[in-house]
Amino acid sequence: MSWFGAEINGPLVLTRAIHFAASATTAGAVMFRVFVAEPALRPSRDGGAILQSRMAALTWTGLAVAAVTGLVWFMLLTMSITGLGSGETIRSGAVLTVAGDTQFGLVSEMRAAFALVLAVCLVLSRFVVLRWLELAAASALVGAIAWTGHAGSTLGELGVLHLTADVLHLVAASAWIGGLFGLSILFAVGRRRSASEWELLQLDAVLRFSTLGMISVAALILSGIVNAWILVGSFRALLVTDYGQLLLLKIMAFVVMVGFAAVNRFWLTPRIALTTKTKTHTNALSALTRNTLIEIALALAIFAVVGVLGTLHPAIHLMN
Amino acid sequence: MRRSSLIGITSLLLALATGAAQAHAFLDHSEPRVGNKVASPPRTVTLWFSQKLEPAFSSLTVTNAAGERVDSGKARVSGNQMSIPLRAGGAGTYHVNWHVLSVDTHTTDGNFTFQVGQ
Repeated sequence: MSWFGAEINGPLVLTRAIHFAASATTAGAVMFRVFVAEPALRPSRDGGAILQSRMAALTWTGLAVAAVTGLVWFMLLTMSITGLGSGETIRSGAVLTVAGDTQFGLVSEMRAAFALVLAVCLVLSRFVVLRWLELAAASALVGAIAWTGHAGSTLGELGVLHLTADVLHLVAASAWIGGLFGLSILFAVGRRRSASEWELLQLDAVLRFSTLGMISVAALILSGIVNAWILVGSFRALLVTDYGQLLLLKIMAFVVMVGFAAVNRFWLTPRIALTTKTKTHTNALSALTRNTLIEIALALAIFAVVGVLGTLHPAIHLMN
Repeated sequence: MRRSSLIGITSLLLALATGAAQAHAFLDHSEPRVGNKVASPPRTVTLWFSQKLEPAFSSLTVTNAAGERVDSGKARVSGNQMSIPLRAGGAGTYHVNWHVLSVDTHTTDGNFTFQVGQ
């Protein structure tokens, strides 16, 4: 397949994109549950339980999709590296060579172990003491992706900086996408709850999500600047390379998301906080719910573009 | 949606747009240098790349002017460096062919020549 003047491996790109999105959603769902849902909804036993149940379902779904796409990614990549078919990669032992002798293989095994730990923690979720292990496993599952990409092969001290930035941005991005999913589930649960009590808890959850978002924001800005500096390097590279132009496409999507977020923050949230049981409140909540879903769709589209970008030469390499 | 959400989405997109990108290993330089002339056959050809390499899937061959393999067969890979010992192959144009897998799982290949003799 040819896209943006470059030959890309369609199945590999698609698999990577789905895997990144699923891993980030899984980790983000755990973060939302630990930092937002559980503390905010503790007073509402029924509502909290429903939300927890749905968040757990989201986490399991994300984990299952991540596991399947992780395996497919591994197979497709082995086939791509060796130029062999699926059966021959197994018969020839190439799968074992990739698993045991490459950084990608070793990182994949570690991530599988993190996924297993996370699954055990989810099964034993009634034991609160396991929350931090669950959070660590979820963060490691998504953060370790950094070692499979450009950051993992960048040389010297710059490589350390790149890896640090990549891990940071993967974890922070997960917190954000997980928060968006969590909020949409929260709003969906809220539609079936009695108004007054739930509205206060819901507002508390939104405020807690805001704090989580603030931390994510700082990490994302920092890592985004570092990564852009390393991989793009200049404004001209952004304009004249395939990589840069695709990046611009993503920035356009980003601008649209910012527009929605601005409306949510400066227009809708004050109306939800200050009014209850009024048409203004209901309309604002509906609009906020809709906008959150649109933001999720845009964020998932971003993952798809990331899948393509991963197969292109970073702009800075083509400018040297 | 909070103000943090607004900023967060912005940075999320910027970070995702750049952070997950991957690269390919390019030949940075070599010894003997690409296209250069050396007085006598080198004992080793060494290549340096722009990325760290995977030893299991990186290889290097060298042929002399007569088209005969003059490398030892097995390249040594360390970090971004790949080298291979040579046996004497006489004067003339030497061809170096390389095929590497970078740690970020992209394959690249290439070739160059250098001259041996006066």
